[in-house]
Amino acid sequence: MFDQIKQVIMITGATRGLGYTLAKHFAKQGANLAICARGKTEIKTVQNELEKYGAEVIALSADVSNPNDVERFVSVTENHFGRIDTLINNASIFGPGPLYLADYPDLVLKNVLEVNIMNPFLMTKRVLPGMLARHKGSIINLTSEVGKTGYAEWGAYSISKFAVEGMTQIWADELIDTGVRINLVDPGEMDTAMHEIAVPNCEYELANPSEVIDVFDYLASSESHLATGQRFEAQSFSRKGV
Amino acid sequence: MTLASYPFVVPNHLHAFLPAEIRSNKREAVKLLVQNRRTGNVHHDTFENLSSYLEKGDVLILNNSRTIPAVIFTTNHIEVRLARKRSSDIWDVLYLHQIEIGDTLTFTNDVKATVIDKCSKTPLISLRFSIAGNAFYNFLYTHGIPIHYEYLQDHWPLQAFQTVYSSVPGSIEMPSAGRALSWRMLADLQKKGVEIGFVYLHTGLSYFENDHWPDPIFQPEPFHVPTETVELIHLAKNRNSRIIAVGTTVVRALESAVDTQHILQPTTGETTLHIKPNSSLYVVDGLLTGFHEPEASHLDMLSAFIDQKNLLAAYEEAIRQGYLWHEFGDMNLLLPMEN
Repeated sequence: MFDQIKQVIMITGATRGLGYTLAKHFAKQGANLAICARGKTEIKTVQNELEKYGAEVIALSADVSNPNDVERFVSVTENHFGRIDTLINNASIFGPGPLYLADYPDLVLKNVLEVNIMNPFLMTKRVLPGMLARHKGSIINLTSEVGKTGYAEWGAYSISKFAVEGMTQIWADELIDTGVRINLVDPGEMDTAMHEIAVPNCEYELANPSEVIDVFDYLASSESHLATGQRFEAQSFSRKGV
Repeated sequence: MTLASYPFVVPNHLHAFLPAEIRSNKREAVKLLVQNRRTGNVHHDTFENLSSYLEKGDVLILNNSRTIPAVIFTTNHIEVRLARKRSSDIWDVLYLHQIEIGDTLTFTNDVKATVIDKCSKTPLISLRFSIAGNAFYNFLYTHGIPIHYEYLQDHWPLQAFQTVYSSVPGSIEMPSAGRALSWRMLADLQKKGVEIGFVYLHTGLSYFENDHWPDPIFQPEPFHVPTETVELIHLAKNRNSRIIAVGTTVVRALESAVDTQHILQPTTGETTLHIKPNSSLYVVDGLLTGFHEPEASHLDMLSAFIDQKNLLAAYEEAIRQGYLWHEFGDMNLLLPMEN
């Protein structure tokens, strides 16, 4: 069950794919939202849509791999809502489509690693103080099957997700007994624009982002208050035995 | 008003101009001068050794106000320094040029601000901005920079002016006493049995330029002492544990939140409390703070904790021993101790 008190849920990369689906879902559930993405026009469009569901929405154009943008996004949110209950570090980039590592341009690899590693690091570091002061909060980092197994041609994206998994484990260990939990969600392969870049003309069946939201509901609710440092696979997630 | 000055001079080489983590990789890598409130005795130590002066059950109260980028520039490149929020679109600001009520300032993105008042007790003026609320803050964080006093030399980013635990945006200048505390130190202190509580007090400007320092009674600062912190302090008082304020801002907030019976109560409001040498302290037993300039009203407050002669003797020794002043500087712990 989603908690009754209006939660403040912060989602990065919320104008498309899973981020957009989650923003819409939580708005419908009655949460207040803080969302960002790099595109100015798109974020405004999504804000207008979410407000139709009755959600109060902070929507800013921001590049969350940039510490100044992170400071702006989180501070405007804290100033408005007074707190952040759940942070979903969803934003990431894939980089160029399928490429052998040996063909991967150095600067592009560096850029993908920087964006995908720095953004959950900076966002988490900035949101944590408020959560630690209140002794509660949930941080959800998005990962992928390729964040624990290396497959040919998944390149910098895969490397960056390995890093995000390690970062999450370290943080979970450091946050033991603080009341703040941090977990990983692997949503599985979904029918999104990013997947089309990773696997062009994919011939096998893909999930729709709306089919993987149950685990996010669980992690944003107090039902998961003891879960930390775990890796959840969204497509096989079931609350039985959690 | 220009406040009376204390009789010491901070030599130029003791103005800290580099953050500790730049000087030596760790924000906690600063020195600690510990002074016994009862005897005036002084110990020299490193800040990382703070926990050895604290006991199980002691309560550290932190100010979790976060520094905002309070300096913006007009399209003519003239500096406007925010000093105090009055409402979602009205701010008192320091503007060091001739200006009259009704004049308009223009900023980037066609943001405008009209002068609606001039303060008679301070050099501040009130501006009504053409944007308010979240739009104003988004503008401020996009175009504003933190206040840099000249001793800092380099322009450090806003992140350099934050404590690790700040999460309530609103301070014009960093509440710097807790700057040296790292999450690791806070975790270790809690493992030892030291308890941590939070209040917030949003600081105003500490200096009006031209040898003009604010008088606390004309410097209202918004603050909040939450119920859980009041409960934490009452429990500690009942077991005779010490309440240690991390910063003069915390002392100001807590001592402003006592009722007529001198009992701490959950409070939200603004304070103009000026704590002076003879002021009674009803809540706070110890103070962790930085080193203050001779003109700062903070020294009046420190004199409420410790005999002024002992305070000045410690400051003279701090100068001899090369302690560093200001927000990136060394720390001073005033604590009632057995010896």
